[in-house]
Amino acid sequence: MTETLFIGLSLGSILLLIALGLTITYGAMGVINMAHGELVMIGAYTTVLASLHLGLNMFFALPLAFVVTAAVGLAIERVVVRRLYGRIIDTLLATWGVAIVLQQLVRLDLGLTFFGIDIPGLGPGLQNVSIPRVLAGSGSVFGIPIQPYRTFILGVTILLTALTWFLLYRTSLGSQVRAIMRNPQMAAACGIDVRRISAITFAYGSGLAGVAGVLLAGFRTVQPAMGATVVVDGFFVVVVGGVGSLLGTVLSAGLLGQINGIVAVLTNDILARAVVFGVVILLILWKPRGLFAFKGR
Amino acid sequence: MTSLNRHTVAEWIAYGLFIVFVLALPLFWDDPFGLNRWARYLVYGMLGAAIALSWGYAGILNLGQGLFFGLGAYMTAMSLKLASWTSLQQGSDTPVPDFMLWNAQPGAPTDLCCIVPGSWVWIPFQEQWFGVAMSVVAPVVVAGLLSWALFRLRVSGVYVAIVTLALVLLVRLLVIDAQPITNGFNGLTDLGYLTILGHEIDPFENDSYYLIAVSLVVVLLAMRWLVATRAGLVLQSTRDDANRARYLGYDVTAYQVFFFTVSAGVAGFAGMLFVVVSDFASPSFMEIGFSIGMVVWAAVGGRGSLLGACIGAIAISVLETSASESEIFQEAWRLIVGLAFVIVVLFLPRGLAGLARDAVDRLPLGRAGAAPAGVAGKPAE
Repeated sequence: MTETLFIGLSLGSILLLIALGLTITYGAMGVINMAHGELVMIGAYTTVLASLHLGLNMFFALPLAFVVTAAVGLAIERVVVRRLYGRIIDTLLATWGVAIVLQQLVRLDLGLTFFGIDIPGLGPGLQNVSIPRVLAGSGSVFGIPIQPYRTFILGVTILLTALTWFLLYRTSLGSQVRAIMRNPQMAAACGIDVRRISAITFAYGSGLAGVAGVLLAGFRTVQPAMGATVVVDGFFVVVVGGVGSLLGTVLSAGLLGQINGIVAVLTNDILARAVVFGVVILLILWKPRGLFAFKGR
Repeated sequence: MTSLNRHTVAEWIAYGLFIVFVLALPLFWDDPFGLNRWARYLVYGMLGAAIALSWGYAGILNLGQGLFFGLGAYMTAMSLKLASWTSLQQGSDTPVPDFMLWNAQPGAPTDLCCIVPGSWVWIPFQEQWFGVAMSVVAPVVVAGLLSWALFRLRVSGVYVAIVTLALVLLVRLLVIDAQPITNGFNGLTDLGYLTILGHEIDPFENDSYYLIAVSLVVVLLAMRWLVATRAGLVLQSTRDDANRARYLGYDVTAYQVFFFTVSAGVAGFAGMLFVVVSDFASPSFMEIGFSIGMVVWAAVGGRGSLLGACIGAIAISVLETSASESEIFQEAWRLIVGLAFVIVVLFLPRGLAGLARDAVDRLPLGRAGAAPAGVAGKPAE
């Protein structure tokens, strides 16, 4: 039983990791960023490239991926998203285009394939990342089998959630972000530089996607299309939790993770995912604004 | 008023040219494989127009249209599978799909009733008319129930998109999981021919092309007629301001449900036609990429124009196939599609149809619609 719960917890922590960035970009800015999964993918490729070319292991890849994806996110905000604030469906479509572009850039070695140059670690093939020896293998605490890597993911997720909470609720930047969440016009009228704060927020959310990518690279095959399924899961978590609610996102990630884990143990992985989708549909029908939505906006 | 006339005339000319082109294509092009490909593009065109109906006219973004296409495809494919020679040679008097035999427990009776658990659902599909009818009925029923649940609760905008997306993924997984009766990932292949009035439709003959071309023309004109009716106009008002329409006394939910369901029915019909020309049905019809791809077609062609979305779908598919001749060019092509899509959303929200509309505005025709060209010319500057 504890083992099943731990599987659910582990699945939930991965969901949360992916959804954390989305809850910020979607919740704070009303942008449906379909390229979020591709940012995760870029984070994963950063891990591959860092170990291949720089000889850096996963621990160093974490901050590196954060910086890289935050920069990519900033570029996306500047070029595409900035023009689309307030047109939420259009952000979905435009960032879908961005997602395709990012995927193809990785497949085509950033376009260098046309010149006959191949960058090892990029291209359409599959890549593997070896996890640091400290985290490999498995141990047990008080007779409960513990996988160090899963525990590591859980730890990083908790740390990032705490950091995000701190930034949102205990800093002046965070209060500005929350003001924009509630009412962008009023926030602007109060002297908040909405464009600048939005850009920073988007970059931070993208950076979180990059970190998620590094951790994902440890147990999934890294390939250009890996982001597509990821982003859908992330959105389900955010919408079920309630847009813009950090607590809601945490709880809904835990809930969906546990449902996935328990059903997977009882039946199989495919049905487990199907049940999760079914629960998502029913929850949205029951509470369209999510479990923990604030009033207003 | 004159500019309205000008646009109406231009629109009917566009429809006329499109219909003539689609129907006359086999007269000038005697290539069975090429025509078979074009028949598929026309099916995509129908899908694009169906998206324009729900998205452009009703303001409902359905990211799960692949569900209705897939349902339609599977229903017909089940009938055609039973008509296939592969189903008739399993040592039984009645047809039994070959893959069921591979999945059956040893000693299970070779009959649809009980060869594998749940195989009895296939029994009515021995009649082809049943499968073909279900291709439209099943999507309509599912869409009707779904949209009734959604719009009665006034779920709107992004949430509709998320629910439809979740549903198509859910059904895809169920189809894959029910491997003994659906053949899972592999889908239904080696299908028989559709028989209409004792005449077999061969996918690589002209009659299959004509079946699809005529269907497309009829469906397109029917939808164009529908959006111009009173109901269509009310629908457009609910898109622009649902609350105001509600205050005026219209039952907004009913209009939304009706048009969402029509769009789904068209998608199911398209799925049926696709199976007839492509000879297979698979869970890939219900992947996210395909459903969003349909929205891309409609966005590039023009979400506010049925014909524009239809042509957008056909044009993108044609270019995509010609680009996929070489592998590297195929990847580059997808890059271009992605970029083009970003640009269209950012700068051309009305798509190619919007461009065409602006071009019609700039045509140096007379100000008065009736004045002969050349006399009025450009307005004096």
